[in-house]
Order: sequence, then structure tokens, then C-alpha cells
Amino acid sequence: MDSLASLSMMTVLMDQEGIQNAYAGMASKTTKNIIAELGLMTAEIEQAREEDLVISARAQSREVFDRALEEIDKIDDQFQGTKFQTFNTIDSAVATVPEANICSISVPGEYACEVTKHALNQGLHCVVFSANVPLEKEREMKELAKQKGLLCMGPDCGVANINGAAFVLSSINNRGPFGIVGASGCGIQHVAAMLHEMGSGVTQTIGTGGKDLTQVVGGISFLMGIDALENNPDTKYIILISRKPDEKVLDKIIQRIKGCKKPVIACLMGADEDKVRTSGAIWAENLDMCGVEALKIIKKEYTFESEALLDQWAEEAVRGMCPEQKYVRGVFAGGTYCDEAMKTMQEVIGGIHSNCPLRPELMLENSYVSVGNTVIDSGEEEFTLGKPHPALDPNVRLPLIEKEGDDPQTAVILLDLILCPPEHIDPAGVTIKAIKAATDKACARGGKIAVVASVLGTDADFQNANLQREELCNAGVYVCKTNRQAAKLAAKIVKLRNGEQNI
Amino acid sequence: MSNASNIQKLFNSPLVCVNVGPKLFGEALEKQNVKVVQVDWKPVAGGDKKMQELLNELGGF
Repeated sequence: MDSLASLSMMTVLMDQEGIQNAYAGMASKTTKNIIAELGLMTAEIEQAREEDLVISARAQSREVFDRALEEIDKIDDQFQGTKFQTFNTIDSAVATVPEANICSISVPGEYACEVTKHALNQGLHCVVFSANVPLEKEREMKELAKQKGLLCMGPDCGVANINGAAFVLSSINNRGPFGIVGASGCGIQHVAAMLHEMGSGVTQTIGTGGKDLTQVVGGISFLMGIDALENNPDTKYIILISRKPDEKVLDKIIQRIKGCKKPVIACLMGADEDKVRTSGAIWAENLDMCGVEALKIIKKEYTFESEALLDQWAEEAVRGMCPEQKYVRGVFAGGTYCDEAMKTMQEVIGGIHSNCPLRPELMLENSYVSVGNTVIDSGEEEFTLGKPHPALDPNVRLPLIEKEGDDPQTAVILLDLILCPPEHIDPAGVTIKAIKAATDKACARGGKIAVVASVLGTDADFQNANLQREELCNAGVYVCKTNRQAAKLAAKIVKLRNGEQNI
Repeated sequence: MSNASNIQKLFNSPLVCVNVGPKLFGEALEKQNVKVVQVDWKPVAGGDKKMQELLNELGGF
């Protein structure tokens, strides 16, 4: 059973009347940790082997549990069945369906290189979601792709939107004049969603995987992506997005931008601004500004919540909190968003502890135990080993959200919701259960926790980003237009709380 | 065909996707009207690393 099937199982379980808490998954160490955290551990589960499927739930009665299991059996049947034409190998698939032109690959990282090379040798462009591929292997597959003139998006590529189709974790976007090449899936999705919201859109978004701009990989896919968009007549403007590139690779990119015939907007976060500007590209300091600058080109103005409004929300949010409530606790699905939130907040409230901190001294000793102001990336291996990514399965981070309610020092919980086609149809609804559990605990202590969130997605996504935002708003969550805005609000709340402490 | 035109050909063709891995990704594409075929991938030689290396040396898997 793949981890995505366990996702559906958990959703079905939690939807059953009389089931208060539940977890399903292959009995990995991580699954056992989460089950223990949820208080659902039994001696049988302790003994379960990694290949065993465990389903643990707190049910009102045995009858309720049995009924839930019957519903799960139906899901299991659904996952066993298939409606696709199915093959045992890529070769046999291509031999029977010669018009196949792209391959979506999500196999364990250790096999990704061989499978991708196989697909490339069959003439298929590749979107490779598999992660944990050694850099040398990544270079090997990308060099083969380059030699064959095929796109190799990934490994670790969560976002690619080709010919209007959203792959893996991409949002569904309108088509429009912008082409995006990005080494940050979350970043691509963010900017594309801003374009979509303003009635524009994308020709193609080419995700390269986050390691493409390392010295070892050398930006092979990034540079091919720029070529592809420059040669594509429908693409009028090119947007480049990445976290900090290797300096030598950055030099190559700058040279390439200099020679590019189309206007380029560059959001290379952490790179030297003056150096990037020498390329002739429009500089964007962060993802929000990248969307703003792109929209400026087509004479559209994107507006965010004003500082005054955020201040007003912060003041409202802190009313009724207990004296000891003073910290932010962020639980993120997106790595880039986790980074962005820490950078935004540290300017106001100082260093943020994390399992992926901005500075090594801020590393959490235990990712499951928050200290002071803490933000965790729940997509990291300690949370996802043997399980789906939290952007696919909103259930993964529920225990992490809920446990912050146990700490009397939690003042604000900061979240991101990232929509994608294979995800649960109502991630907000699922997450609200954990939010409510956390906030109820604070209420019981006579206080109140503020919850701040942003939703990344579009109204074309199956979940409809606007409906998801509305649902969160109705549950009392402060929903900001972007992740950066949400982080700003959370920092304002913490600052107010600490101001009160000093009085 | 030149390298550049390989990619432009993709941009100008209806997508036909070979999905290798969880079916949910293929289903999400199908919902967007992309033609999808599934490869039920399993590790070669049942995951036996030594056998895989040997097979790889004999011509790849």
C-alpha cells in the first residue's frame, strides 16, 4: 500500500461519527511516534513490523470502530483497482502508446535515477517527484536529458505546470504570457497563483528541483528551462525563482539572462542584488515582490493587507490571552514558506527555533518539542519518512498543530495551506479540527490562541482557494493574502505579547 | 530533431503521461483531461541490491 492510500484511510476514519482520533499508516518508526503522540499506542502496534499496516483509533465503541473499518475496506478496494491502462515497464507503455511524451516519476529516491534515465531513453520528458537522490546521480540524469534535448524536471520537483496541466503538487493555473523556471516548487506556485488571481497566468512552469543550482548539478535544468521559454513564442516574459544559488552557477545564470531576448524577472532569494541587476533582470527580493513586479509589467497592481490592518488584527488577537502566552508556533507544509516566515519574523522578534533553522544555533534538539518562538517544516524527513508529504496529506501535521495547544506559552499558531490536485478535497476542514482542539485547550486554561494562516492555491484548484480561505475565516482564523503577510501578523502578535510582559 | 525543438514539440502537443508511482498523481492528471497510462513499478529483483547491480552491468534495467 502506498502512503497516499493511507492518507485516504485516515480521512475516511476521521470522518466517521464516533471516531475522536485516528491514525493509519505503515508501521514505520515515524508512524509509531505519531501514534504515541496521539495517545493511540498499543502493545500490538509497538510490536508491528515496518511492512505491517496499522490502524489505530479512539472510538466511542467497538461497533463504531468496526463500522469505520468497513468504510476503510472500500477505500482499500478502490486503491487496488485501476482505471488506467496499466503496464509493467516504461518500455511496454511507450511501445503500446507511442504518443506518450512525458513521464511523472515518484519512486523511492534510490531508484529515481535509473527509472528517469530509462524514461529519457524512451524519449519522454520527465517530472521527477522522488527526493533524496544523490547530487551526482541528479547530474547524471540531467546530463542525459540535456544530451537528448528533453526536460528533466526534478528530482525533488513538486511543481511543474506543462501545457496547462498541473503535475504533482502544482496548483491549477490560468494560462497567460509568463513562463516560470524555478528551483523552488512553493515559490513557483506562489507567483503563479498571484498571476492567476489577477486574471493573468502562465504558459509553462518548469520546476527543476531545489538542488539544480548547486555546484555539482550546475543549473543544467534551470538553464535549459530558460532556453525553452525563450524559444516558446507564447511566453512573453520569463520569471526565475530559486533559493540562494551557488555563486558559480549564479554567474552562469547571469550570463544567460544577459543574452536573453525576453524580459526577465529574477527572484533569486539570498543572491547579491547588485550582481543580479547587472544581468538586466528586474530584481525581486521575495516571492510577494516577484508577483508584484511581474504584474507591473502587464500594468496590474497587486495589493496586500495594509500595515494598519495587520496592526488592528494583532491588537484584536491578543485580547483575552493569559500572561504566559508569548510565543509563535509555526507548523509548515512548504519548506520555502517555512524559510520565508522565519526571515520575516526574525526582523521583528529575533531568532526563530526550527528543525530547519536560519542559523545552526537555533536548531531544535527535538523536532517534536517547540522552544520559545518555533517554526517547523513538517515536510522534513523526521515527519514524512514512510508517509506522504503534508502538502498532500493534511492529516500528517494535525498532531503537530494540536500539541501546540498543550503549551500554555503558545500565543499564536502560524500555518500554510498548500493546495494541489491530488490532495484532500477539503484541507481547511481537516485542519480546522486540529486548530479547534488546540484553541479549546487554551480556552480551558482561561486564555486564547490566535491562529494565522495563508492559503496557496487558485480558484481553479479542485479545492478552490477562495472557499478554503472562507472556511478558515469562519473558524476564526486570521487569513492573510500571502505567507509573508501571515508571518508579519504573527510577529506583530508576539511583539505585542512581549511588550505587555515588559510593562 | 534539434534539442530546442524537442521541447517546443512537447509544448505544442497534447500531453500523454506515463505515470510511474502512486496512482493518485495519475488520477489528478486525468481529472485535468490529460491522457495517462500507469506503470506499476516495482524494484527490480525484488529490491535485491546485488542482483540489481549485476543486471545493470548486463545492460540496465
